[in-house]
Amino acid sequence: MVTVRLEPEGEELHLEKATSVMQVLKKLGLKPTQALVIRDQGLLTYDVAVKPGDTLTIRRVTSRG
Amino acid sequence: MKCRRCKAPAVVALPSHNTGFCPECFLMFFSRQIERTIKSYKLLTPDDRILVAVSGGKDSLALMLELKLLGYNATGLHVDLGIPGSSEQARATVERFCRDRDIELRVVELEHEGLPIPKVKAALTRPICSACGKIKRYYFNKAAIDGGFTVLATGHNLDDEVSRLFANVLRWDTGYLSDQGPLLPAANGFARKIKPLSRVSEFETANYCFLRSIVPHMSACPYSHGASFTAHKALWADLEERMPGQKRSFYEGFLQRGRQAFARLDEEQGTPLNACTSCGYPTSAETCGVCRVRALLG
Repeated sequence: MVTVRLEPEGEELHLEKATSVMQVLKKLGLKPTQALVIRDQGLLTYDVAVKPGDTLTIRRVTSRG
Repeated sequence: MKCRRCKAPAVVALPSHNTGFCPECFLMFFSRQIERTIKSYKLLTPDDRILVAVSGGKDSLALMLELKLLGYNATGLHVDLGIPGSSEQARATVERFCRDRDIELRVVELEHEGLPIPKVKAALTRPICSACGKIKRYYFNKAAIDGGFTVLATGHNLDDEVSRLFANVLRWDTGYLSDQGPLLPAANGFARKIKPLSRVSEFETANYCFLRSIVPHMSACPYSHGASFTAHKALWADLEERMPGQKRSFYEGFLQRGRQAFARLDEEQGTPLNACTSCGYPTSAETCGVCRVRALLG
């Protein structure tokens, strides 16, 4: 299970069966250029693998006024 | 994915450029994009005194820092909109950012000007976004002119420009289409206005802020629900995913081949500007939009 923290909403989700950043984004309905994906204070590109136990921060980038 | 430049592991993937960058090379790429925009459109000279409109969001903070790092003489201007639960945090973000980086900052408080946005919103029957934008632009211009700045810079990025251009095309607003772009020369009481980030996407500015340890104000404006620009951005996100590079192509194509036609049309058919009879601000009416709002508030 991968833990996902959404910003700026502040929600936390747990995702089963996600093995890559791209899969995590797809499950959240996001495109790779719509959010920063952060793990251990570093940025991840969409092709990076994720593993059970990982905690990711997903920071939406689209300005909403 | 490897960095295109140095082959280290990439941390930023840019499909529109068909590439990825490591942290150091991305910061270099970002800086070069800004320099290229400044040079291509002749936005700035080293002698300019720049007033940067800083909202606290990622784009304006990125612009403010990058102009400072490029060696420009830049001062920040923050307009406190007076929206409870939002404006205090935005202002605190800007003040902390400028203090930490030794950047001069000026603040205009709309509460003090008699135009706090909640009060304006209550008096209007239409959505507040247009009036809020008008009021902000009024005070940006006033601060630039009164402060003797040679240019006003805003953090509008490629996504902002594309969604605005798209909206203007949907309405066939020939007035706005005649002069949308990275540079608006000084004229008729308006300060010169530039958009140095117009070539970079908001994804790129978000990555820049992360890699430069900038913590922007991230909450949405509480009055922005249902605003058309978010719908336009969503449409363009879909198109860009299917056809990377479309945003840049649409915008740059308009600047190179489309804008002149609307500029000629506006010259022939546009309404000339005159000074507002109340405050002297350039307007196509007898009194400017801000004075009309002020009159509405009594």
